Amino acid sequence: MEDHPLTLDEIRKMAAEIGMTRLTDEHLQQLLRATKTARARRAALPVENLGPADEPAHVYRLGGEDSR
Amino acid sequence: MTDFAWLTVAEAAELLRGKKLSPVEYAQALIDRIERHDGKLNAFLRFTPELAMEDARRAEAEIMRGGWRGPLHGVPYGLKDIVDYAGLPTTAHSKILQENVAVADAAVTQKLRAAGGVFMGKLSTHEFAIGGPSFDLPWPPARNPWNRDHFCGGSSSGAGTATAAGFLPAAIGTDTGGSVRNPAAMCGVVGIKPTYGVVSRRGVLPLSFSLDHVGALTRTAHDNALMLDLIAGHDPLDPGSSAHATGGCTAELERGVEGLRIGVIRHFYTRDMEADPEMTAGIDAAVRKLADLGAEVREIETAPLGEYVACNRTILTSEAFAIHEKWMCERPEDYGALARERLMAGAFVRAADYVNATRLRRKLADAFHALFSGIDVAVTASSMDPACRIDDPKAVEYTYGRQARAPFNVTGGPALSVPVGFSKAGLPLAMQIVGKPFSEALIYRVAHAYERATRWVERHPPLE
Repeated sequence: MEDHPLTLDEIRKMAAEIGMTRLTDEHLQQLLRATKTARARRAALPVENLGPADEPAHVYRLGGEDSR
Repeated sequence: MTDFAWLTVAEAAELLRGKKLSPVEYAQALIDRIERHDGKLNAFLRFTPELAMEDARRAEAEIMRGGWRGPLHGVPYGLKDIVDYAGLPTTAHSKILQENVAVADAAVTQKLRAAGGVFMGKLSTHEFAIGGPSFDLPWPPARNPWNRDHFCGGSSSGAGTATAAGFLPAAIGTDTGGSVRNPAAMCGVVGIKPTYGVVSRRGVLPLSFSLDHVGALTRTAHDNALMLDLIAGHDPLDPGSSAHATGGCTAELERGVEGLRIGVIRHFYTRDMEADPEMTAGIDAAVRKLADLGAEVREIETAPLGEYVACNRTILTSEAFAIHEKWMCERPEDYGALARERLMAGAFVRAADYVNATRLRRKLADAFHALFSGIDVAVTASSMDPACRIDDPKAVEYTYGRQARAPFNVTGGPALSVPVGFSKAGLPLAMQIVGKPFSEALIYRVAHAYERATRWVERHPPLE
């Protein structure tokens, strides 16, 4: 999936939508860089190698169940 | 006269058990050393000599009565300041948690106190185990004892510094993307990320639930094995804790490496990333030494380093942001700049990307563990570069991600960082020894054989 380049105004709006309303302009610049970094990491995930039945690596077990 | 600073846990234990060393005298000697030198190194965030002397006096009385408890009885240790010690603040090196007093001991603290260890204090960390080295926090960052102008690694930075500086023979750190093994590599000590679930995380401030590991930093592989035996064990109160039997990490130490099959993951540090030539030369020399000792060495291939790192970071930042979202909304200004930016990377990761990263994690782990049908252990780089200057933000940022540790947080198997020499500038070089899940005893065996053959661990930084 292609991502369009984010602007500072867009990131400010996105931050506000999740309650991050106290960020200064400096913080928003950081959020912009961090989000670009996260998107680059997403692009590096080889998801094309996943089949529909490939399950997540669970770390969750029901209480009382023997581990592993 | 005994040089208390460089006693290993194993050496101290023998002396203490035989009543040839007083825990009080030992603790006082290290307290004096810390007071003399830590003002320049900042390993301790909260130094607690009064608690240490209480523990030491108790240990002395017990040992004199014939009640020696085991190898940590009367031996000093420290805790990274994200690990709870009842009654003391667990600050995570952050303004946000400056007043956060622990109401109970972490599981690992319980074990170390039950073993009769002498608690010396809480150790510096990168803020929330992710943001550092930082100069905009309530406490300064720890520095490298080999050269105070250089970074000591992190996030278990104080643990690496304190162990290398001869302040403590052992310290507890945590490792989510390499945070025990990075300071171990930078400071020239031994650091373990054990198999996921082997050491309880209860009472340890989380960074990323599915990637967090608790481990020890020591100056020798033998000591590290002793420490892991002490802190490992099933904890029903940690939902990630394994019921797999652990212990016996020292049992195979003296068996050597003859006939062991060692796979070298060279593409991590020569093709996927190009390590500093001195680091590559150090690792290559270590591999030759293992071959000289009788191991069968061959190169192996796994997925590209970048796939592991993207997987680790997508999961880590997503889980970390879930923990930090409330503070990020209410008090963003109270984070240091580095922690804030690194944590913010999880703000807008899509749910599908997080789930896909965990699906890739399973595939990467299964494929990696399948390699062990043809090898016993693997070795690869830890850091790609020797420690950079701590006051050079560009160098810190450049070297921060140049590492091959995150793959083993993804796969969950054990990984040990061991010293393999020094750069021309006198800074430590390191490699990792990696195993399949629950094979800690085997990787300690390899590390111990290498250590005995090279003696790097006998070099110590001059602090004067």
